[in-house]
Amino acid sequence: MSDKRPVNLDLGTFTHPLISMVSICHRISGVILFVGLIFLFNLFDTSLEGASGFTSSQTLLQENFFAQFITWGLLTALGFHFSAGIKHLVMDLGHGEELQAANNAAKFVIGLTVILAILAGVWVW
Amino acid sequence: MLTVSIYRYHPELDAKPYMQDFQIDTGGKDLMVLDVLNLLKIKDRGLAYRRSCREGVCGSDGMNINGTNGLACITPLSKVVKNNKLTLRPLPALPVIRDLVIDMDQFYKQYKKVKPFLLNDTPAPGIERLQSPEERAKLDGLYECILCACCSTACPSFWWNPDRFIGPAGLLQAYRFLADSRDTATEERLADLDDPFSVFRCHGIMNCVTVCPKGLNPTKAIGHIRNMLLTRAT
Repeated sequence: MSDKRPVNLDLGTFTHPLISMVSICHRISGVILFVGLIFLFNLFDTSLEGASGFTSSQTLLQENFFAQFITWGLLTALGFHFSAGIKHLVMDLGHGEELQAANNAAKFVIGLTVILAILAGVWVW
Repeated sequence: MLTVSIYRYHPELDAKPYMQDFQIDTGGKDLMVLDVLNLLKIKDRGLAYRRSCREGVCGSDGMNINGTNGLACITPLSKVVKNNKLTLRPLPALPVIRDLVIDMDQFYKQYKKVKPFLLNDTPAPGIERLQSPEERAKLDGLYECILCACCSTACPSFWWNPDRFIGPAGLLQAYRFLADSRDTATEERLADLDDPFSVFRCHGIMNCVTVCPKGLNPTKAIGHIRNMLLTRAT
């Protein structure tokens, strides 16, 4: 009987506080970074194939919008993952475990990511 | 008129749960969610939910109110209702017995694991085991838990591993006894918790702190346990 019982786990019906959104995005950005390594390793590999490979990689990053967008996206994901990771380390030291402080820290992480995303955009384009 | 949407499931009549809408006249008063349920119970005698003390002490009426876990009896409509709509669902992740009543077995199993009672192997003194005011103060914010399960059922780590992760409620109690100066089983308690799942599945999502109706902080307690485990390992 018990295994037939339904479970209310319809995530769309739950409210997701900012702190938990930052937490799940930390994980998602980690996955994005991991998958993004395929692109980066490819590019790195091409650039090491000699002078022509290096030039073609360079051109790709300077002229291809799609490649630039991926680079910017990965830098942004790295910025978020890094700041959220630092937040985690600070929390592990026993700071910011109160609700208000954690909320502020989450806002700080988002703010920092926006700044880093803009800086990354300036750098890439 | 307030629209109340309620999760309905009758194990003998329904193959699947569904949402049922009611219209209810609150008379313009800022009722508690439990009051609304009591009004609905007059309309539909078959509606099932748990409640007892109706003042946030017993922890029976934990439910998912407009997407956030809380106690129906101490949650005023003004705090949760938006666009004149109230949605009530059972607490997440635990099996639904009927309507808003869930099977708390898994939750209690995790609670039981932490041995939520004082362990002391020294001979019992003639009087009480005394504590200094400072030692007693360490239990503040820990002993007040009423085991309503709002926190554990709001925790994604508990959703995916309800059988292996103790959950915020259980871990708050684990720390309540680790922090107790009268308890002598600290080493055994830590040894029981020292595995990848029991404590370390906590990722600091802090949904537990967000929802706790008593304003307690399991995340902090878990941090203390983690530090004790790390100190013990080095």
